[in-house]
Amino acid sequence: MKRICRLIAAVALLTAVATPAFAGWKLVPKGVPALAAGGLKVTPSDDWNRSSSRPIKKSEVWTLDGATLNELYFVSGLVPGETLFKDANKKERPLPKLRASMDLTEIPEFFESSQRVALNTSVFEITGVEPYKFAGKPGVRFCFQYAVQGATLIREGEVAATLVGDKLYLISFIAPSIHYFDRDRPKAEAIMASAAL
Amino acid sequence: MNIARIAVNVIAGLAVCTSLAQARPAVQASQAAVPRDDSGLYTPTDPIERGLWLQTDDAERTMRNSPLVIRDPALNAYVRGVLCRTVGEAKCRNARIYIVRTPQFNATMAPNGMMEVWTGLLLRVQNEAQLATVLGHEFTHFEQRHSVRLFKDIKSKSDAAGFLGMLPWGFVLQAGLLVSMYGFSREMEREADAGALLKMAGAGYDTREAARIWERLRAEMDATAAARNTKTRKDKNGGIFATHPPTAERAQYLVEQAAKAPGTAGATGADRYRAALGPWWPQFVDDQLKFNDFGASAYLLESLASEGWTPPLLYARAELHRRRGAEGDVARAAGLYDQAIAGGGILPELWRGRGLARIKLGQPDAGKADLTEYLKRAPGAADRAMIAMMTGTGEAR
Repeated sequence: MKRICRLIAAVALLTAVATPAFAGWKLVPKGVPALAAGGLKVTPSDDWNRSSSRPIKKSEVWTLDGATLNELYFVSGLVPGETLFKDANKKERPLPKLRASMDLTEIPEFFESSQRVALNTSVFEITGVEPYKFAGKPGVRFCFQYAVQGATLIREGEVAATLVGDKLYLISFIAPSIHYFDRDRPKAEAIMASAAL
Repeated sequence: MNIARIAVNVIAGLAVCTSLAQARPAVQASQAAVPRDDSGLYTPTDPIERGLWLQTDDAERTMRNSPLVIRDPALNAYVRGVLCRTVGEAKCRNARIYIVRTPQFNATMAPNGMMEVWTGLLLRVQNEAQLATVLGHEFTHFEQRHSVRLFKDIKSKSDAAGFLGMLPWGFVLQAGLLVSMYGFSREMEREADAGALLKMAGAGYDTREAARIWERLRAEMDATAAARNTKTRKDKNGGIFATHPPTAERAQYLVEQAAKAPGTAGATGADRYRAALGPWWPQFVDDQLKFNDFGASAYLLESLASEGWTPPLLYARAELHRRRGAEGDVARAAGLYDQAIAGGGILPELWRGRGLARIKLGQPDAGKADLTEYLKRAPGAADRAMIAMMTGTGEAR
């Protein structure tokens, strides 16, 4: 009997170890102010879904139909020395780190370099950069498009960001340029416009 | 999905090797080359080979439409010309080359003739002879049907591994089989290196250039590590599972083999290579700079500047420092922009970079003047609105 119990315990342990952590999704109802990734507060004008899994501690992922179709990525209060995404391959391809000396013109460069390394692609182009009031503070807004290896799909994106002291607050929206980007961009921009700190 | 099925997908998708790999003596460039049809083109023979071709045909359809492929006719014609000179016009017809914009050093050739040449490779090799080494290596993989042989080897061993999995302690023997699969792959790499040297010699290239690629890649890895303050990864090879054993050994082997088949001493084709790649270097360098590898980028720029620092190279070096932004970097960058402009540089981004650097260095008026000059020179710049705000002529929406 003892042996059987041990066997069951061993199998249970193996199962627990082998089971990947699945992301759960929770509704973010429209019209209700929501905290996105800690300090950043937004009020969605549509229903969104919030992922329980966070790429980095100070981040959050929202989507309408699934993250590959429309993804909002919130980063709240990134400090110098931290990376925009999880530094998953830091020995081979480390992500750039936020620097205390960065100013707003360098945020698109920081974002672009982070994405190029994370996606392992060189086909990433910033198509427009303009000043933007983010949460009532001087900020930057920029648009970009990219493609990755092994796929023909082009994705487009838009980012709004600001620096408060040397902390970075950022919202990015990414979707396939076919259909989804144009369809959902106003909803994403409404969220960016509602940002408050 | 069983191991064999996974293997066929991996092999079909990636071709047999991801970069040039180790070579050693005892090469047996033996197995029958790919059979040809009436028109002289290679055709698959048995069902396994036909299956691999079908899979790679499928991958090639995606590749054909990939936004990463550089379609410039001049660059494509040049790379194809080097391949044809190296392997001969008749054989060359089997290859369809795709130049893929990606900053790493790599080239592959799939069993159906789809050849990928990555731009990171074009940035790193210094001359035509070195490019011929890589293309010749990949073509030898194709010609010797290494993908098919590797697949058959994996399939037979994975069948055995499947059976062993049913036995107690069978996994020990399974591991042994896995090791032998990698050993088989290494053997093919040696064969491909030997084939490349023979082809280079036949085409009249200086075969000493083959080893130089590896010496330079090792030096670049040292530079990456030094800038990151970490240990160099040049001898990281994955141990028994590596298809690419230590490159020092490989460079040494290539030096020895080159002495036996020297080709034409001094025929590196460096001038032709510079002429063909020159128009693309700014783009490839820019892709490299944005890849967050200061040491490698600085090393590559030094190499490109072996015959002098031109304004585009000075600009790239300045951007490298400005983007790193460590202590002293901004001042260094400003000086390099100065040199590039004084040297006759006309790239509008020179004024953008210097303007941003000068503002950081506490020279707002000089900085704004530079940014105004940038906007004058690049009226359609993507960041026009942002830079205009910094010069005081635009504001936040």
